[in-house]
Amino acid sequence: MTKYHLRKKHYVDQSVLELARERLRFVFERFDFITVGFSGGKDSTCCLNLAIEVAQDTKRLPLHVYTFDEEAIPPETVEYMARVGARPDVKLDWYCVPIQHRNACSTRELYWYPWQPELRERWVRELPAQAITDYPGLTRTPIAAQMAALFPASLGSIAHIMGIRAQESLSRYGAIASKRGFEAFLSPCSGHVRHGKNVYPIYDWTTEDVWKAPATFGWDYNRAYDVMEAAGVSRHDQRCAPPFGEQPIRRLHTYKTCWPHLWAKMTARVPGAATAARYANTELYGIGIEDADLPAGMTWRQWTLATLDLLPDHNRREAAAAIRVAISIHNSRTHHAPIPDADPHPVSGFSWKLLYIPAKIGGNKFGRVQQKITNRAIQERKRRGIPRA
Amino acid sequence: MPVLRAQPVSSVEWIDAARLVANDYNPNVQPPPEFRLLKISLLEDGWTQPIVVFDDGSGPLVIVDGEHRWRVAREDRDVAQKTGGLVPIVRIRKERAARMMSTIRHNRARGEHTVKQMAAIVRELLSAGQSVDDVCFLLQMEPEEVDRLADRAGMPERVNRETPTFEKGWMPQ
Repeated sequence: MTKYHLRKKHYVDQSVLELARERLRFVFERFDFITVGFSGGKDSTCCLNLAIEVAQDTKRLPLHVYTFDEEAIPPETVEYMARVGARPDVKLDWYCVPIQHRNACSTRELYWYPWQPELRERWVRELPAQAITDYPGLTRTPIAAQMAALFPASLGSIAHIMGIRAQESLSRYGAIASKRGFEAFLSPCSGHVRHGKNVYPIYDWTTEDVWKAPATFGWDYNRAYDVMEAAGVSRHDQRCAPPFGEQPIRRLHTYKTCWPHLWAKMTARVPGAATAARYANTELYGIGIEDADLPAGMTWRQWTLATLDLLPDHNRREAAAAIRVAISIHNSRTHHAPIPDADPHPVSGFSWKLLYIPAKIGGNKFGRVQQKITNRAIQERKRRGIPRA
Repeated sequence: MPVLRAQPVSSVEWIDAARLVANDYNPNVQPPPEFRLLKISLLEDGWTQPIVVFDDGSGPLVIVDGEHRWRVAREDRDVAQKTGGLVPIVRIRKERAARMMSTIRHNRARGEHTVKQMAAIVRELLSAGQSVDDVCFLLQMEPEEVDRLADRAGMPERVNRETPTFEKGWMPQ
């Protein structure tokens, strides 16, 4: 086997709720400055409310909270953000600044910048009254690069609380599972903030836990989720993330049904958005497999299996079925030759790199993914001039 | 005065469905539920719009818009019987390129049903006494869709109903 190794989950006899409180108490006792990175999403809602609870117990209210408003967000998120900002126990810094975001919709403009002053007439909504539009050290770079400007060393040691959960993706699982034991929820801060730690108090929560908390304690939450649920968006896919990145554009059409008025403005705001919403799940925006997808030290086969493992049951079954079909085609063409890892097999055209696609997409999309990888294998064979057996 | 006679719908004709043929470029594929919905629509509401065809006078009438309604009328005995195998058509005369664009405009120039309004409609239908089964059949929705649209509970409550307790926590080992 390889050097790459994901640590196992060791379940303990405490609930995720008790543990999250314990982690936060640990942090409030040890750090000078506590801040919650708040997106308005369900995960940061749990972090926010649990942190307020602990801040109250330790007499550290009001709690510092910040958000980067990405402009093209649902009205329910904006309303929720305003309610959070109005809480007396919260000090919310609401940034509306043109930092860099990926635009996967367009091959011509690879980035977009919310609240870009030059494009004011195309903004999809009014600037919030509380908005902070500038700060010393603001650059048009991604969020991670802003952290040093926002949280200088003069604040002392910084605990940066975030609602990241291992269940969300393998890379997030990796961010948690790089260390072992109780303190695994503490990790180095991005953006060269050496005096700070990222704090993931709910890293082990499931989506169900995340919703059980507001139900149990009567917390306010973002009503955009109710709209997505009614629209049939699966719970795993209900996210308040930026809509124009590689993964989110596959859900772009949700905006069209859930928030048609916002949608109309979004298509005029970001180049390629209308095209992406129509075709994001088709071959026009075909999933590219890039070598960068593969974590160092892993083979494509291991990475495919590891990715499958973390999918929700339904998606895993679908993706695994697509892979099984491909393997049986490979076996029958090659009389059970081993499947090469990265380079296509000269006779079957398959490789584990190709089989990674269903795992990456997390399903079979009514057989389309299976069709796609089979077609690609055929192309590979043709390119190598191997005739049909 | 507007010249209404120049509008295609002023010259709707009833034609034997067998005289029509599908075009060879239609990008619109209809999944079975939508196809069944079309049949229900033709039986419940009747023909409310003509099929658009191209006629160069040389033979069969080539469909520009309405291929799926035409298929229902050919394949479904109940629908065919209602009109004795005839379908309503209007004729346009255009070059192939213009016809292809006409097809796409007919298909794409339509809005999107917003979730909130759809939810309001489904709730109104149910409270007006329609059964869930009827709504499922008449609108060709899955029970899942009707449930989701009709449920007024917010996300915390919905998930809480299915989740008895918080899970046990874990640490990487």
